[in-house]
Amino acid sequence: MNPRPGQTSYRDRTQEFLKAVENFKKSFASIPDATSSIAAPKFEGPKSAASIQSEFSRRASQIGLGIHQTSQKLAKLAKLAKKTSVFDDPTVQIQELTAVIKQDITALNSAVVDLQLLCNSQNESGNMSRDTTNHSTTVVDNLKTRLMSATKEFKEVLTMRTENLKVHENRRQLFSSSASKEATNPFLRQRPLVSRGSNDSASPPAPWENDSTASAPLFPRRKLNGDPSSSTQPLIQQQQQQQQMVPAQDSYMQSRAEALQNVESTIHELSNIFTQLATMVSQQGELAIRIDENMDDTLTNVEGAQGALLKYLNSISSNRWLMIKIFFVLMVFLMIFLFFVA
Amino acid sequence: MKITALLLLRTAGDYSSSSGPSDPVVLANASDVSHFGYFQRMAAKEFILFVARTVAKRTPPGQRQSVQHEEYKVHSYNRNGLCALAFMDDHYPVRSAFSLLNKVLDEYQKTFGDSWRVQQTDSNQPWPFLTEAFTKFQDPAEADKLLKIQRDLDETKILLHKTIDNVLARGEKLDSLVEKSSDLSAASQMFYKQARKTNQCCTLL
Repeated sequence: MNPRPGQTSYRDRTQEFLKAVENFKKSFASIPDATSSIAAPKFEGPKSAASIQSEFSRRASQIGLGIHQTSQKLAKLAKLAKKTSVFDDPTVQIQELTAVIKQDITALNSAVVDLQLLCNSQNESGNMSRDTTNHSTTVVDNLKTRLMSATKEFKEVLTMRTENLKVHENRRQLFSSSASKEATNPFLRQRPLVSRGSNDSASPPAPWENDSTASAPLFPRRKLNGDPSSSTQPLIQQQQQQQQMVPAQDSYMQSRAEALQNVESTIHELSNIFTQLATMVSQQGELAIRIDENMDDTLTNVEGAQGALLKYLNSISSNRWLMIKIFFVLMVFLMIFLFFVA
Repeated sequence: MKITALLLLRTAGDYSSSSGPSDPVVLANASDVSHFGYFQRMAAKEFILFVARTVAKRTPPGQRQSVQHEEYKVHSYNRNGLCALAFMDDHYPVRSAFSLLNKVLDEYQKTFGDSWRVQQTDSNQPWPFLTEAFTKFQDPAEADKLLKIQRDLDETKILLHKTIDNVLARGEKLDSLVEKSSDLSAASQMFYKQARKTNQCCTLL
């Protein structure tokens, strides 16, 4: 009767329930009239219970269907996130899909909460059999666990995507030189090909112009640092010493944001490490308990053996048995002696 | 990772009547020219002042800027006509430099209020906060809390890795202990049986 894992189908037992109601009705009809007034609202009870139950199963099947669809979308998103390469980045699609999935998950979450409230109110109204309440609670729990696993998968897909982007970022930095630091924030990168081409082919005096044009479309919203290139040109012409192009395209805010993201990811890794540590220590705790039990067994055995040996020592060192044994040996010798001599 | 100089200037922005090619006015100065030779120190100081004035003049208000000059980087931050500059070598992280400039600007405004707006000549009195900031912030982690936090987190991560290695070794030792203790308990059981057998069995000699 419980839904098979991974599928969204529910068996709707409304018909069976209605048949059971008919049976009850017949049995109630045989009771004398004094209770018929009770029977009438009770009769109403099972009928509305049936409708509530069908309402419950309808909602549950809707939610299950929603979860299934969301997990399909999630599989699509995972495929998209995996196949991103350095050049072909379906960022827009991925972001749309992410937003849609997020909305779905929140809607499903609220629907599951509603369902659980309905289930609780049904249980409290008291005119349900034990099996029905069990069924409804089991169904709600199952939906909740499925929703949770879908959410977890979603999070994993998002982390995988950020990791992929970071890998691309590192590769890009390997290939292009210092001026390409503008692309450090991957979620806002618009035209990676343009920046690579312009940086690799530019000669040192020229990059002032190149970078100002490349940076302007890349950072329409950045903190006005496209200007430094032009404002420091007369300054450089005045100086006679050797100049070097400053990576002034790094905006201050961007580097701060990147540092914050680094801190956040480090903290996540730390939390992972801590959970692993806790798991390992708890596993080893169990080992310690086993060792303790073994030692207790050993102790008991050794004590028992010691007692047995003590008794043995006593029995050997006591004189009574010895005398009896010596007496028997003497008797035997006497017998033999008597038989052979006499 | 060295700061060579920290300066605070007033740029003739919108607040002076003759906004134009008027040079910025030095409000505070802390510099360390000890690594130059003795005879070059005066020249180096003058040079620093000149570069500072030029950069400050060309930094528009509300903007941050970094200029590379020989082997120094000059970071400047102009905020409402008050411009803070820092001369550092290439290794000093840019972000820490700007957070340092932020701090200096805040402190100056707290200490002196708006009195700097009316100054017209270079002031040569040393400002103690600037000099101690100069020495304190040679280490960029002091200036930039984010950097400090990142550093602490990295150290913690290394420590945790070591801890996990230790825990794994402990696990192995516990494993061997379990085996030994189970052998011991089996042996003691045999011992017990044997003792019982010798005790209660047939009363041999």
